[in-house]
Amino acid sequence: MRQKWYGGDLGLQVRMFITMFLLAAVYLAFIAALFYAGADSFTVMIFAAVLLGVQYFFSDKLVLAASGAREVSPAQAPELHAMIDRLVQQADLPKPKVAVINSRVPNAFATGRSPSAAAVAVTTGLLETLDRREVEAVLAHELTHIKNRDMAVITIASFFATVAQFIMRIGFWGGFGMGNRRRNGGSIAVAYLASLLVWVISFFLIRALSRYREFAADRGAALLTGSPASLSSALVKISGTMQRIPDRDLREVEGLNAFFIIPAGVGRSIVELFSTHPSLEKRLAYLERLQREMERAGL
Amino acid sequence: MLKSLRDFFTALFGSGTGPVGSRSEPIFAITTAILTLETSFELTPTGRAWLAFRGIESGGFQEMRREIHDLLVIGARQTATKVETATDKYGYVWVVLTDPDFEDLVTTMHLASSTLEEHGFGKALLAAVFEFKHPERERVYLIYNFKRGKFYPFVPRSGHTRDNAFELRLKGVMQEELPFEQELERWYPLWDIPA
Repeated sequence: MRQKWYGGDLGLQVRMFITMFLLAAVYLAFIAALFYAGADSFTVMIFAAVLLGVQYFFSDKLVLAASGAREVSPAQAPELHAMIDRLVQQADLPKPKVAVINSRVPNAFATGRSPSAAAVAVTTGLLETLDRREVEAVLAHELTHIKNRDMAVITIASFFATVAQFIMRIGFWGGFGMGNRRRNGGSIAVAYLASLLVWVISFFLIRALSRYREFAADRGAALLTGSPASLSSALVKISGTMQRIPDRDLREVEGLNAFFIIPAGVGRSIVELFSTHPSLEKRLAYLERLQREMERAGL
Repeated sequence: MLKSLRDFFTALFGSGTGPVGSRSEPIFAITTAILTLETSFELTPTGRAWLAFRGIESGGFQEMRREIHDLLVIGARQTATKVETATDKYGYVWVVLTDPDFEDLVTTMHLASSTLEEHGFGKALLAAVFEFKHPERERVYLIYNFKRGKFYPFVPRSGHTRDNAFELRLKGVMQEELPFEQELERWYPLWDIPA
C-alpha cells in the first residue's frame, strides 16, 4: 500500500526553500569574492570537493563504525525488522540495513547517501525505554530522513561552508603560498574576510535548514504511523528527565511544589539558533497541530 | 514576566515556605468538557470522583474533617451523591464521591473543596480526580491540581506505567476546553487511588 503524502506543509517547505536559496546566494557571492582575490582558492575547492566526495560515499560505513553499531539480521531482531518491513512498504522505500548500538542512552539515527544505500540504527537504550508504538514512530522519523535524502542535502549545503572554513584556516596562518608573489596582501584579506563571512552566515543557515528538515521528518513519521502522539511521547521520553511526564506520585513531591525554579525560557531561544534540532516544545506543538489536521481530514 | 520575578525573589529570600494556596472555581469547566471527551475520545464518566487533601494533625483539622463529612452527606442527599472517606499511606485523606449525574458530582466536589478553603485549609488541598471509562482501554483519569488551577490527564497501565501517547492526545484536544497544565513535568500521577 502506497502512502499518500497528505497536504504537504507549505509553510515549512517555503521556509526550507528560502533557506536553501539564501545559502546558494551566499555561496555565489563567495565564489565571486574568491575569484576576485585570486585563483589559488580553486585548489582549496578541489581539495574540499574530494574530501566531501569521500565522506559522501563512505558515510554510512563511517558513521556506523564510529558509533559501534552492529548490523542485526531478522533472526537476531525479529520485531525490529518486522516494524521496519511494514514501514518501508508503506513509505515505498527499499529496506535499509538495520543496526543496533549497545548503549543505555536512547537514540536513533539514519545514514546513507541515497535510499538504496542507507542504514538505520537504534540503541538498546531506546528499545528499552520506549514501547512498540513509540519505537515505530522513531523508526518512521528516521526513514523519512532517508526518503528526503537529508544527509545528501546537508552535505551539499555544507560544501561551501567547508571550503570557507579551509580558506579561513589557511588564511589565518598567513599562507596561500604557492609562490604567487604578484598577489598583494589586500586580495588575501578579501578572500579571508569573505570566507569568514560565508562561514558565519552559512553556519546559521545550515542549522536553520537542518531544523526545518527535522520538522519535515516529524511530519513524515506522523503520517506514516498515523499517530503523531506516539512520536510526541517518544520524544518526551528521549528528551531527558527535565521535560518528562513524571512517574513519581503527586503526594511524594507535593511539598516541593512550593519551590519555584526560574524557567530557562530566555536562554532557550538563543540556544536554538545554534541547534540542529528544534526545541522539544516546538516539535510537540507541531505534532499537536498535525494531530488536529489529521482529525479534521478524517484520517 | 512579573510572576517569574516574584518567584525569583521568593527563591532568593527563601520565603517560599509552606504549601501554596488553592483555586477551586476552574473545576466547573469539566462539566461542559465531557461532551468533547465523549465525541473525540469515546470517554464517559464512571460516576466516581475523589478529592484528596493532606491530613493535618490538629484538633481544628479533625473537627473540620468531621464537619466536611457531615456537610457533604447532607448536601449530597440533595444530589444523591454517595460520600465515603479513606486515608492512604502518605497521610492524605480521600473523599470518595459517587454520583451517576456528572454535574451533581462536580457540584459536590466543589462544595467539598470550597468548604476546606473557607475553613482556611485550602493549602491542604491536593487534587480532584475524575474517572472515565473507554470501550477498549483501561480507566482514564483527569486530575485537577488545586495549586496550579489546571487539569492534566493520567492514563495508568498495568505495571506502573502510563499511556503517554494517549495523554498527549488528550492534551491536544482538551486544552481548548479546560484550563490545562502545559508543563509536562507537572503531570504527576496518583497511583493507587482508593477504590
